[in-house]
Amino acid sequence: MIKLALKDIQLFFADKRALMLTVAVPMALITLFAFAFGGAGQTKGESRPKTLVIADEDKTEVSKNAIAELDSLKEFKVSQTSLDSAENLVKKGDVAAILVFHKGFRDSINAGNKPPIEFKYDAAKEAETGILQGALLGNLMGIIGVKSSAKSALEKFDSENPTMDSATRERIHTQISNNFSSSESKKQSDSFIKSTPLIAEEENSPGLIHAVAGTAIMMLLFSVVGMGASLLDEKQEGTLKKLLYSPIRPNSILFGKMIYANFVSAFQLVIMFIYAKLVFGLDIFSHLAAILLMILAIGYACSSFGVFLASFSKSRQQVQGMSTLIILVMSCIGGSMIPTFIMPVFMQKISVFSVNYWGIQGFYDIFWRMLPINDPTFLSRILVLFLLGTVLNFIALQMFKKNILKIA
Amino acid sequence: MISVSNLKKNYESFQALKGISFDIKEGEFFGLLGPNGAGKTTTISIMSTILEPDEGSVSIAGFDLKNNPTECKKNIGVVPQEIALYNDLSAYDNLLFWGSLYDVPKDVLKVRIDETLQLFGLFDRKDDKVKTYSGGMKRRINIASALLHKPKVLFMDEPTVGIDPQSRNLIFEVLEKLHKEGMTIVYTTHYMEEAERFCDKIGIIDNGQIIAQGTLEELKSLSKMKETIVVSFENLSDSLYANISSEWEGVKRIENAIHFFTSEVNRDLSVIILKCNQAGLSISNIDIQKVNLETIFLSLTGKQLRD
Repeated sequence: MIKLALKDIQLFFADKRALMLTVAVPMALITLFAFAFGGAGQTKGESRPKTLVIADEDKTEVSKNAIAELDSLKEFKVSQTSLDSAENLVKKGDVAAILVFHKGFRDSINAGNKPPIEFKYDAAKEAETGILQGALLGNLMGIIGVKSSAKSALEKFDSENPTMDSATRERIHTQISNNFSSSESKKQSDSFIKSTPLIAEEENSPGLIHAVAGTAIMMLLFSVVGMGASLLDEKQEGTLKKLLYSPIRPNSILFGKMIYANFVSAFQLVIMFIYAKLVFGLDIFSHLAAILLMILAIGYACSSFGVFLASFSKSRQQVQGMSTLIILVMSCIGGSMIPTFIMPVFMQKISVFSVNYWGIQGFYDIFWRMLPINDPTFLSRILVLFLLGTVLNFIALQMFKKNILKIA
Repeated sequence: MISVSNLKKNYESFQALKGISFDIKEGEFFGLLGPNGAGKTTTISIMSTILEPDEGSVSIAGFDLKNNPTECKKNIGVVPQEIALYNDLSAYDNLLFWGSLYDVPKDVLKVRIDETLQLFGLFDRKDDKVKTYSGGMKRRINIASALLHKPKVLFMDEPTVGIDPQSRNLIFEVLEKLHKEGMTIVYTTHYMEEAERFCDKIGIIDNGQIIAQGTLEELKSLSKMKETIVVSFENLSDSLYANISSEWEGVKRIENAIHFFTSEVNRDLSVIILKCNQAGLSISNIDIQKVNLETIFLSLTGKQLRD
């Protein structure tokens, strides 16, 4: 018994691929997830700056100073744009929320009234919005709320006590200012920012959209790898050689596989969305054309990925070993496992290299952001998926000629 | 029908083909024989259009292979050594697929599939998945799939390896029928009796070269021998073999035996025994073989066909 176990241990350590899958792949995934959840790459006790897009409609010294003060804080990375543009950023899913300084901001501050500040957000990005809103409330009260309230209180005190000596007045001013800086005061002022969801609540919850789109794309990637690997099966079983004896062109063999993979991909996605409709009530019929277009684009990109991987490999075993790691990484960075908006900024930038990212964002466009089929943002995602697929197909074709056709 | 001229092929520094040439007439059954690594598969691969030669030319049915590979492909059928079928499809569906690659009209194809299945004795099981077939049945379907477009030339690479006698006999019957119907067949095999039975002409290839070609009778006269005396020894060593081979022309050593090629068995047998005794060799067995393709092959290449 021990001899058998020792023999297997010896074989295990001799199989470098098995060793890699056992040790290196989990290590790589742990590292990746640690980055994705923001637990790595940061100094202890220090949080990463949150992107804050501000639309300044007031355009006065007071609003500019307030924005400058927010920008000076380590917590925020501020950028300014027009209201329309800022709202579009939210609608397209580029940012979770924006802060709007409406006209009359200066006048309200001077009058000691509630300032017209609005926090507009994408309810689909609940976690990110909540974190941003929490950070904003505390800091804005420090910058604006305390100042305006304290200022009006001091002015009222001065007007009611015009004859007070300067030393006593100074002492009372300090006391009043300190009172306004207290946390209790901040809490009382929490409601001074108006919060408005920019995208109307729909029947389709963002969680459901994410679960359906993210899982469907990830599982599709696993399926198409098997389809791509059937090319290698054909080589191994001799049918590829036999196909080459026939008058069909060698490229046609690869294109045939691509058509097959595209068909099965589209079929699988259609079934997944019908299932989501029947079981979870996902509204697919209101956006049928856009869904079908997105399914075709994702199917094309994913099937190209499967053929691409197969064209680099020498056997089905090699494809499967390689694909497991690549698909898990793509699904992780692309948002199939966890939403990209809760990842650190650099991870969000990397996510664009994943098919999953473009597919999931496309389905958010359809089901959550309610973008019409001809919206440039939606179409740009379709275009990226088709481009990605075409590039992968082109490389696969070259590799197919180089690797797989070496049969004699 | 087939003309091969000065064919050369290198794999990096290894010369697989060193300039081979031969012609095959229409309707001829041509056997290409050679030990493993001799260049048979490379030659067949080039002729069946899946490998490009470094030099030389091939024409099939009047079409130059380099300039018109598609026309060449339309005129050939290839039966590879490995069984290349889709196991999860039925025999009928396999044949339908492979036949469709040659643009045979569907109605014609369906008739041909039925005829071919009858010919190979598999019509009753046409709807069964190939994975349920025996090795011999799969081989029959493998051959059938190369015949549906009625090629002018059929390349067969060891089509009877590892099959049951019933399937072998069926395949032989089909081969004879196809030959009678005028199909040109290029056949490689390790079984000499198959080559002797079917081949009108035989090419013997070794080390990338055709070392002899012709009919069986032509090869017999080319080898200038009639019979072989095979003497087995208990104590054959390299030095003792060197001693014998220096005194006798036309000997080959195979394991513990020496093959003496002779035209006069009665005259040479006693001389051989005497010389072996003088050389200190202890004889364990003596066998006299008549001239056949096996002995011709051995005489020409110094190797057995299965080497």
